[in-house]
Amino acid sequence: MTTIVIDSAAGQEGGREAIAAAAIASLDLDLQIVLVGDAAQITAELPKIAHDAERMRVVHAPDRLDPALDPHEALRQAPRSSVVVGIELTAQEADAVFISAGPPGPIVSQALRALGRLPGVQRAALAAVYPTLHHRGPNDDPFALLLDVGATIQCSADHLVAFAGMGAAYAAKISALERPRVALLSNGPSPAGAPTRVRDAHERLTKGAPAFEYVGMLRGDQVTLGEADVIVTDGFTGDVLVRTLEGIAATAETLLSRAEARFQWRMGMKALGGGIAKLRALTDWENYGGAPLLGVDRPVILTQAECGRRAFLNAIRLAAKMQRLAVVDAVAAGAAAMAQGERP
Amino acid sequence: MSEWMGPGELLHLRWDLDKTYLRTEFDSFKDLIKTYRQKAEDKVAIVGARALLQALLDPAKRRQRRVTFVSGSPTQMRAVLTRKLRLDGIEPDVFILKPNLSNILQGHIRSVRGQVGYKLAALMRTHVAAAHLQELLFGDDAEQDAFIYSLYADILAGRVDAVLLASILGACKLYRNEVDEIMAHHGRLYGAGDAVRRIFIHLEARSPLDRFTPYGARVVPIYNYLQAALVLREGQFMHTRDIVAVLEAMSQAGYTPERLSNSVQDLVRRGLLEVPTVLGLARELSDVEATRGRTISTFIRKLRATVGDLEHVYRAKQEWPTEINYLSLYHQARFRRQRHRLLGIPLLDD
Repeated sequence: MTTIVIDSAAGQEGGREAIAAAAIASLDLDLQIVLVGDAAQITAELPKIAHDAERMRVVHAPDRLDPALDPHEALRQAPRSSVVVGIELTAQEADAVFISAGPPGPIVSQALRALGRLPGVQRAALAAVYPTLHHRGPNDDPFALLLDVGATIQCSADHLVAFAGMGAAYAAKISALERPRVALLSNGPSPAGAPTRVRDAHERLTKGAPAFEYVGMLRGDQVTLGEADVIVTDGFTGDVLVRTLEGIAATAETLLSRAEARFQWRMGMKALGGGIAKLRALTDWENYGGAPLLGVDRPVILTQAECGRRAFLNAIRLAAKMQRLAVVDAVAAGAAAMAQGERP
Repeated sequence: MSEWMGPGELLHLRWDLDKTYLRTEFDSFKDLIKTYRQKAEDKVAIVGARALLQALLDPAKRRQRRVTFVSGSPTQMRAVLTRKLRLDGIEPDVFILKPNLSNILQGHIRSVRGQVGYKLAALMRTHVAAAHLQELLFGDDAEQDAFIYSLYADILAGRVDAVLLASILGACKLYRNEVDEIMAHHGRLYGAGDAVRRIFIHLEARSPLDRFTPYGARVVPIYNYLQAALVLREGQFMHTRDIVAVLEAMSQAGYTPERLSNSVQDLVRRGLLEVPTVLGLARELSDVEATRGRTISTFIRKLRATVGDLEHVYRAKQEWPTEINYLSLYHQARFRRQRHRLLGIPLLDD
């Protein structure tokens, strides 16, 4: 049975939302759930919520990570933090997945240290999904994959090529795509104006990788069109881009709220109510289920720092799906094939 | 009143049937018809319930044990339910079923749906006096068992006088004949002795644990019967070999060592078991010949790992009840049911 290890020290309301999501999942899903955090806090919260205690285990992790510190220093100062304890537990269980809304730096660092990289993987990549205009696959999936969004800040061409293989393998499994379309994020379709690492990666990907279709380089304004199922970039640029997309969605949401202040606009909004609700659902990051860390030997999912129970629940569902579809094995195969320059 | 002919010591077990002993679905009319038409052979006991009850009815001490079933099922099901219990090797001393047909014929529609009048009267009617009486009650969270059982216990303990009881029964909107019978029993049983040791509520609906906090430590919500067995062992009502019997029954029914050890950890978190007690139990289980099966060995290993985490974590112990506000609890439960019926808000939500 899949074991979901949930870090209850982060997320909305000091981790209470993570506990609530774990409780709901224990009732609805056939999973073993391990809540890692302050046992006294978890013990005080659980009785308030309907849950199935047969499916829940609590593991005490008394230390708190300081997000202001360098990741290595933060981990050193909090040796029994929920991130350290949770990832150690994940390493011990063959079918375990780790989910956390904690600071990404220490999570990536601890995951690489305790879980190890997949064979052929030099750098891990954090993959985020975002909604696009064109949908994909037999399930009409509206989400495309963007990686890396923060795990590896400085990338070489080798890293970008490996990310393409891992991202394509992930998308093929999760979105049931036979041959995902992969693109590199750049400042235009021509390699001439691109940085050397992007140009080199472009040249290597152009030579072909039959497990996915390389569609070339896309500009930032093209990512939401849906011309590619996987967009590859370095961790710094990816983080900036994904936060820009989230910022635009949040601004649009604020503008909609302001529009409700005027009577005529409110009437117009009522008329468009169904469509607006659909748009809201599409741009609401809590529906996405978190960002998987690709390249490590167990599934690790990072959610937004301020995420609520819906986001945690979707992350739990994604975790279960990743285990069911053996996504880590597929990613390992994809990365290995790219490393050897073979067909994945 | 039953005529108890045994010596002074008596352990009286009170069991509800549906969703407490038997796995029953009656959430829809279709389920109700299916349950009604089911043969004894097709009825399934909740995992571990049979092993627990058989252990409590220790044949060597059967004369000091008494088991009364009070069920909300209609009297027309007596034959099939009696046969089911017999198939499980259980012979109840008293088996009370609800006279739904006569309630309908008398126009007592509230009595068909409600449980307070029927169950409280049945518990009081079947109370047995003994010099050293202990009672263990088993119910579930689908009905109002925690409320009814606690009220019964507090009447025996002399904590609910006639005036308070009359106001509670008034709030419950019982019919005159039900009130008269309960008040008559109250006159006889009020202050008879604080005999109820534990009230186990099987969390069939997985209600939040906090919903039972106002009833105090006497009420123990349980997710499965291993939990009940462990609490009873702590109270000297069961032995380690009985725990093994329950564990084996649950393992055979497909309970994994993880689910079993999680259940034990839940009791530790709630302060019902101490970590050293659980580690002692793990040692005893290792020594018991019958536990050499692979599943239970894995369970013992998981148990140590699962419970060891919490050794230094402070856990507040729940207090034994002193005063329960029954009127408030009744109105809260009624509000939840009405909100569910009218607005569709889940019963599990607060």
